[in-house]
Amino acid sequence: MMAALVQVEDVSKSYGGLRALDSVTFEVLSGEWIAIMGPSGSGKTTLINILGGLDRPTSGRAIVDGVNVGTLGERQLTRYRAEKVGFVFQHFYLVPYLSALENVMLAQYFHSIADEVEAAESLVRVGLGDRLHHLPSQLSGGEQQRVALARALINHPKLILADEPTGNLDEANEQIVLELLRELHRSGHTILLVTHSPEIGRMADRRIELAHGRLMHIVANLT
Amino acid sequence: MFWRILWRLLYASRARLALAVLAVASGAAVCAALLNLDLDATDKLTREFRVLGANVVISAPSSGDAAATVNLDAIRQIEELRLPEIVAAAPYLYLSGDAETEGNRAAVIVAGTWLDEVSRMNSWWKVDGNWVSARENRSECMIGEQAASRLGLIPGQSVKVHYAAREATLRVAGIVTAGSSEDSQIFIALPLAQELAGMGERASLIEVIARGSASEIEDVIGRLSIALPGLEVRPLRQLAQAEGRLLERIRGLLFGTVLLILALSSLAVLAAMAGLALERRRDVGLMKALGGSVRTIMRFFLAEATAIGFAGGIFGFIVGMALSEWIGERVFSVSITPRLIVLPATLALMVLVSLAGALPLRLLGRVRPSDILRGE
Repeated sequence: MMAALVQVEDVSKSYGGLRALDSVTFEVLSGEWIAIMGPSGSGKTTLINILGGLDRPTSGRAIVDGVNVGTLGERQLTRYRAEKVGFVFQHFYLVPYLSALENVMLAQYFHSIADEVEAAESLVRVGLGDRLHHLPSQLSGGEQQRVALARALINHPKLILADEPTGNLDEANEQIVLELLRELHRSGHTILLVTHSPEIGRMADRRIELAHGRLMHIVANLT
Repeated sequence: MFWRILWRLLYASRARLALAVLAVASGAAVCAALLNLDLDATDKLTREFRVLGANVVISAPSSGDAAATVNLDAIRQIEELRLPEIVAAAPYLYLSGDAETEGNRAAVIVAGTWLDEVSRMNSWWKVDGNWVSARENRSECMIGEQAASRLGLIPGQSVKVHYAAREATLRVAGIVTAGSSEDSQIFIALPLAQELAGMGERASLIEVIARGSASEIEDVIGRLSIALPGLEVRPLRQLAQAEGRLLERIRGLLFGTVLLILALSSLAVLAAMAGLALERRRDVGLMKALGGSVRTIMRFFLAEATAIGFAGGIFGFIVGMALSEWIGERVFSVSITPRLIVLPATLALMVLVSLAGALPLRLLGRVRPSDILRGE
């Protein structure tokens, strides 16, 4: 039996009087692809942010690779984000004045040492070998998201957190990005992906459905 | 990678940063100019003040004998000391005599001196006619404008000088306007005055022009006193103290202006950086999400501020040197030499000003990545 890479135990998160997450509990096995689904405001992004060390739970425990994320100090959280997780955002969030290559190298730099050759190889793997020195503004949405994927993977994170990675893409680019995610999954990466799309949800091993901050269902997809 | 990102940051915000560099450069130019003026002009102004006349006088000890005189060996001893602060020295023998022209006769103070030193000791004098360039010229004299007016003299005319029962006829080389007691005097060669007075190698006093700060002049006086034990060496206090006060005021004004300019430059950088901080919030949030520590991220921005200070400092220094030359010539009428020490001082000041102005960027350390990624 595979070990749980992620353990979410009774996690709640409140913003003032608003309860964004309410006693959510689940586990994610190493190498699993989990789709987190639910309507807007259901707490999907909050859950991703807590697991990514961008936010802290109000109560409960979020453990990733044996680390209780909520108890980490500011410096430890910074190292956690650099070493354990790779983010892919709906709006790509590339640094606009850095080239595709430099955006990937930036993540390396924050992790340890920037390696231009390795960064270039990661971009070649996502099909952007001829776009290394282009600025984000010179890339299509799909290309920008592939740069973000290369950046998320460059430090070999334990966990990939993708918040609606295809939400801003046309169908062709969506397929390219999804294919890349499939490849990552096949090569053993653990992926937590937030999506509104039932189709994408069905590609995952399991779907976690949230509503009003509560975990409603965990559904295993039949392959 | 650090330098690569820094370059990209600088290039990306080049318009805003150019404004900040311009503000720093303007401040740096004024600061560099004033610092250079302080270093170079103060020295030159000190010299200029010295041009206004002697500031040390050597005489026989005051023993109630008004006719006490100084042996000219004293001036040779002064020359042998070779003190670099001493710019000029000349003996003066004062006689209370008469001057006579056709139809006019008036009492005058006859000053016998080294005529070639008169122009060095009194370079600010206005002279109608010519200076006398030969030290022992026995045929020419210079006369103060009041005395000349009383005697109805113009350059080129002759005047007869009487002292006791002796007399000498001299051609007026130049009429002097000094604005002081010299306007009533007549300047003749020292040996001639000694002949009129019937005395040997002696003078009433020796006037010395020494340059330097008040303490340096005190030092010169001390050394002269040791070298000339039988004589009285005293500063012309009134002038020296007035010079000191004026220089202190000029220096105070320069430093006050520098401080004001630094504060204004800092405010200009602050305004530019505050805009930049807003512009960079999203990037900082993203960098933090990617695992960038506050320290690492702030290093970029502090390096950016340093670069602004450095670039502004260098441009400002170049402009400042030209400005100091202009101010020197226009305001103080002295030619200013650029002092290289001003460059590191300007750079250090401008980097400090830029870092102080970059304080708003510290706020970026508080940016929460989750807020930024949520679109707040």
